[in-house]
Formats: sequence, C-alpha cells, structure tokens
Amino acid sequence: MVVNSDAIITVENLVKKYDGHTAVDGVSFEIERGEIFGLLGPNGAGKSTIISILCSLLKPTRGRVNIDGFDLITNTNDIKKIIGVVPQEISLYPTLTAKENLEFYGKIYGLSGKTLKSKVEVLLDMVGLTERADDLLEGFSGGMKRRINIAAALLHRPRILFLDEPSTGVDPQSRRRIYDTIHDLNQEGMTVILTTHQMEDAEKLCHRIAIVDKGKLIALDTLEGLLKMVGENDIIHIAAPEILTEPVKSIQQMSNVRKVSMDEGNMTIQLVHARESLAGIIETLISSGTKVESINIKEPDLETLFLHLTGSKLRG
Amino acid sequence: MKFHIIAAKDLKIVLRDRNAILLMFLLPMIIISVAGLALGGEFEQNIQISVLVVDLDNDVISKEFVEFLEDIDILDLDMESNEFAARDRIRNQEYGRLIIIPGGFTKSIMTGQNSELQIIVNPIEDSQNTVLEKIVEGYASGLSTNVVVVKTANAYGIPTYSEEDKLEIVYTAQQFMQPTPVEVVTESTTTNLAEFSPFTQYVPGFAVMFLLFTTVQIGSVSLIKEQEAGTLRRLVTAPISRAEIIGGKITSTFLRGFVQLTVLIYFGNVVFDLNLGSSTLALLVLIAGITLASTGLGLLVAVLVRTEDQANSVSNLLVLTMSAIGGSWWPLFIEPQFMQDMAHFTITAWAMEGFYDLLYFDLGLAGILEEVGMLVLMMILFFGIAIKRFKFE
Repeated sequence: MVVNSDAIITVENLVKKYDGHTAVDGVSFEIERGEIFGLLGPNGAGKSTIISILCSLLKPTRGRVNIDGFDLITNTNDIKKIIGVVPQEISLYPTLTAKENLEFYGKIYGLSGKTLKSKVEVLLDMVGLTERADDLLEGFSGGMKRRINIAAALLHRPRILFLDEPSTGVDPQSRRRIYDTIHDLNQEGMTVILTTHQMEDAEKLCHRIAIVDKGKLIALDTLEGLLKMVGENDIIHIAAPEILTEPVKSIQQMSNVRKVSMDEGNMTIQLVHARESLAGIIETLISSGTKVESINIKEPDLETLFLHLTGSKLRG
Repeated sequence: MKFHIIAAKDLKIVLRDRNAILLMFLLPMIIISVAGLALGGEFEQNIQISVLVVDLDNDVISKEFVEFLEDIDILDLDMESNEFAARDRIRNQEYGRLIIIPGGFTKSIMTGQNSELQIIVNPIEDSQNTVLEKIVEGYASGLSTNVVVVKTANAYGIPTYSEEDKLEIVYTAQQFMQPTPVEVVTESTTTNLAEFSPFTQYVPGFAVMFLLFTTVQIGSVSLIKEQEAGTLRRLVTAPISRAEIIGGKITSTFLRGFVQLTVLIYFGNVVFDLNLGSSTLALLVLIAGITLASTGLGLLVAVLVRTEDQANSVSNLLVLTMSAIGGSWWPLFIEPQFMQDMAHFTITAWAMEGFYDLLYFDLGLAGILEEVGMLVLMMILFFGIAIKRFKFE
C-alpha cells in the first residue's frame, strides 16, 4: 500500500458486506492532514459504515486502511489513542451530570487527577455549558446534549476527529455553535471527518466532500469543483395535483431542458438558464389545463449535484 | 485495567435510580414480612414427616439420637424393635422412611470405629426424604468428630486403658475443637432444626427472587440500554478492551446483587431472628455463588434479546418460573419428584438448598460445596455462551 505523506488517512478498495448485502463497495480515497473532510449521501448510502470501519468499530470485509502511519487491522490500539469519535446517537449517560459524563470518558482515555479536572473544565467552557456542569444530562436540550457528546470525544486531544451526522436534530443556535467548535478545532490542526446528509453541514464546514451512494464513492472534490460538474444546470420544482403526459413531453423537447422527473404531483426539471425558459414552461402547463400550485427555482448546490449524479434526491 | 471505571459508573447510575433501589431492597423486605407473618402458620402445619426407627443398639448414643429426632417438630416418630417387621411396614407403604441404628453403634463411636446409620426410603413417596437425610447427616457429622478424635489418639499411640479414658479424650478434644462443650453444641443444633420458622423459607426465597430481578432483569436491561444508546459502541472506539468493558458490566451487576442478597438475608436475621448458621464465611460464599450464576444469566438474556422490552419480558418469565419451580415460594421438598428434578435446572433450587443447609441444618462450608459447585458451573455455562455471542457492533 502506497501512503501519501500528506495523507493522514488512506483508504484503499474498502469493502464491507453484511449477510450478503454490500454496504461499502470498493471505496478508495485519501484524507489530507488538517482538512475537514465530508462524506455526503442519503441515509443508508454507506457513510456510517465507512466511518465505523475507520473508527475500528467494524472490521472490513476487504481493503486496506492506514491512519497516520498505523494499519487499521494490526495497530488498532494505536489508532484508538489518536482518534476521537462523536457518534450519531447521544452516547452519554442521562442520569449522570455533564461533568460526570466527561470525567467518565476522560478516565477511559487514561486521564486522572488535576489533568482530568482541567480538561473537563476547558471543554465545558468550549461548548458553553460550564454553568450546567453539575446538572443531570436528562434535563438538557437535544443541542446541549450534542455539544457534550462532542466534548466527550475531545478530552484526550485526538489528532483526528470523526463526527457522524453532527447536526442532526439540533436547533439553529446549537448548530451554529457546533460549526464554530469544529472550525476552531480544525484551526488548531485537528483533522476532522464528518458524515452528513445535511447539505448545510457539507457546504459550511468541509474543505473537500466525498459523495457516497449505494456503497460507492461517486464524486470527490472541493465544493467548487463538485458544483462545476453540474455546470450551468438549474432546477425548477413545480407542484401540481395532476400533470398530464403531453405537456411533460413538450417540456422535455425544449432545447435547454436536460431532464424531467415526476414524483407524486411534483415535477423536477433540470435545465440551463431556468429564468429564460420559465415562461414557456408555465405556458405549456396552463394551456394543457394543468393547475400549477407552486413554482420554485433552485441555483446549483450539492442537492442539484446529487440529483445530477444519481437521478434521485439527497433527502429521504 | 479499566473495568473498575465502568463498574463504578454503573453503580453510581444505580444508586441514583430510586425505582431500582425500591425493587432491590424495600419491596422484598415488605413481601418477606407479609409472607412470613401471614402464611407462616399454614406453612408450618404442612410439614410433617413420618419416620419409623429401629434401635438395634439401645445404648447411650443411640438413645440420645432417638431423643434428638423426637425433639424435632416436623418429624412424626414411631419405634419398631424388629428390623424385618420394620422393612415390611416400609414395603407395605405404611411408612415412607425408616432409620436403622445398627447394633454396637455406641461402642463403635466410642472406640473410634467407622459405623453407619441406615435410612431406607419408599421410592414412591420420597418427596420429603431430603429433609430427613439432612437431619440425620447433621447429627452424624457431630458423631464423626468423636470417631476422628479417637482414631487420632490411637494413631499417635496415646494410651487408653478403659472406655472412660476414651470418652474423656473425646470430650477434651471437642472442648479444644469448639468454643462450647459437646452437650451445648448438640442442644444448639436441636434448637436450629426445631425452629424451621416461616422466615427460614421466605427470607432466602424472596431474597433470591428479587436478586434474580436485579441481576437478570436490571442487569440485562442495563446492557441493552447501553447498546441502544450507542455508549457501548463508543466505548469500543476508545482505548479499552472488549473484555474490560464486559468485565466492568459483570462486576457492577455482581456487586449490586451481592450487596442486595446479603442485606436481605441479614434483614431477616435482625428483624425476624432468622438463624444464619454458625459460618459467616459459608453464607458469604453461597451468596457469592448465587449472585455469580444469576449475573451470568443476566448477560445471557442480554445477548439473546434485541430490545429493552424483550429483555423485560424474558426476564420476568425466567425469574417467576424459576422462583415457582425452584422453591422460592414454598419449600422445594413439598413439590412432586418430577418438579424437584426439573427445579435442579434452575439457580433458585440450588440457592434454596444451599440456604437450607446453612440456615436450618448448619452444615457449614463443607455442607454447601455441591450447591456452590453447581452454581459456579451454571455461571461458567452462562458466561461462556453469552461472551461468545456478545456483539458490540
């Protein structure tokens, strides 16, 4: 296995099968030291399985993984010492206080005495929960729990931080705080790998984004690089209770329309220069007797890209 | 080793759980008190074991032995002078049990010769035979001391010129072996056996049942909760071995159960004057054995089910079935033989027999080796299967 000296993680032809089902299918990529790397894809795409393998929670069926010079299979214990893992679930104890939860995980990572005490204080301050340190976790909001969930992975100052869906189910204020925390950690030199199906996470945080679908890596680049793949394509979403076949055919034949897809009273049109074609599309629909309820034009983004690459939506 | 960090965390969580504390201590104390006070009289009336005795020795020790048996309330004693006639009465099912004291029994004991007390039982009607065997074994173990002392004196060539000399050696040696004189020990044993109080049944019975709720139900649910919450998976990604994680969980469940069972048994002693036997060590070894086996069962339940609800249902089914069959609610020996045989596949049956041996027969550590051995075997079996099937992922 050839390891790029700038890469802190090298994944080569990774495969994971469960009971005949292939969750990860021959994935290869490298993550550079000090970058924020996002794995984007819908639920069940294989992102969490990839991250679980990198965190040594799952054993790969095939393939090689090297993390900061350590082989995943033969140097598992060395890897566990340099990584921090923030699971998707709130993996904390609700009937312990925030401080007790952090102290517990600190002890698991070998911290004790004054070092442990000071690390816990620093992290509580970092996530803005110093005043709630002695409150039981069961009384915290979802966002507050998620912040403690992240703090619990940072007690031993890991070189690499894995976050599985870090902003799922949190309020906008907590989400902003989580973004700030991730940025700060990255500024201090920590490599961050996160999985998400939220485009906002990937767009606001990640230096590079890998798009995963059905266990395969279908694209990997910076946000700008990925959006170039979509080109000038815009998306028009039209909601109408009943759309006949005839106007759909007419719209498909328009010169700047690339693709039209239908989904339960919703029409999605990929096209170039949407605003120029909008009048013609509406006229076609109305003249065929279609009752249009709403029209929405979207600029190119990761969702557009995902639709462009896979033909299906990112969410759901 | 970091397993103690996990164990300490689990114990802290349990101490904060008021419901768990109620289930572990207060509820069993209330049920033991109510059951013991309300059902005690009925329970005592049900125990009557008819025994026929043939005394072919008719000497000092055999007479003492017969008096000892007559003093036990649950035994309904009848004497028969002819051995053949006695055997016929057993064969004709007139009596269920026969004790034959051989001729020369007293002389054998006094001169350091091996001897045997014979118990003949009717195989059709033998549900209470175990109790009789334990009573006779308890008395015989006291007599064995006499034989051993005389044999020891002979082995060292200590001169004995008459029966009186030997008797004196036996008595002197026993005074050295135990803090109380022989006569007092015998009386104490008689008192223990005579006092089969309802609490001798209900304190260990319900204590073991609630221990099973703690170790099997709360133990398995605690593990399932960790799996469902993802804390177990998070621990796997930390620098702690899987053995340490499981070790921590087992340690906390064991300590919780051990303290619970010990507190409940001593509650019976303090509040209801339950006799605990003369060996505290034996009692603690038995409690440890029962707790280990049930901790293993809790781990096994946790690996065999998928959800917290399933763990609760399976645990309730197991604990209530084991308690009913295994003798938590009524003495094991009043059950029909096939149920007694089935009961020996449960932790409860071995636990209750161990408690009878200590609280009623006062057989000490040597008397509970079989029960503790079986409980340890169960523990090995449960842990073996559970650890092999345990999934962290």
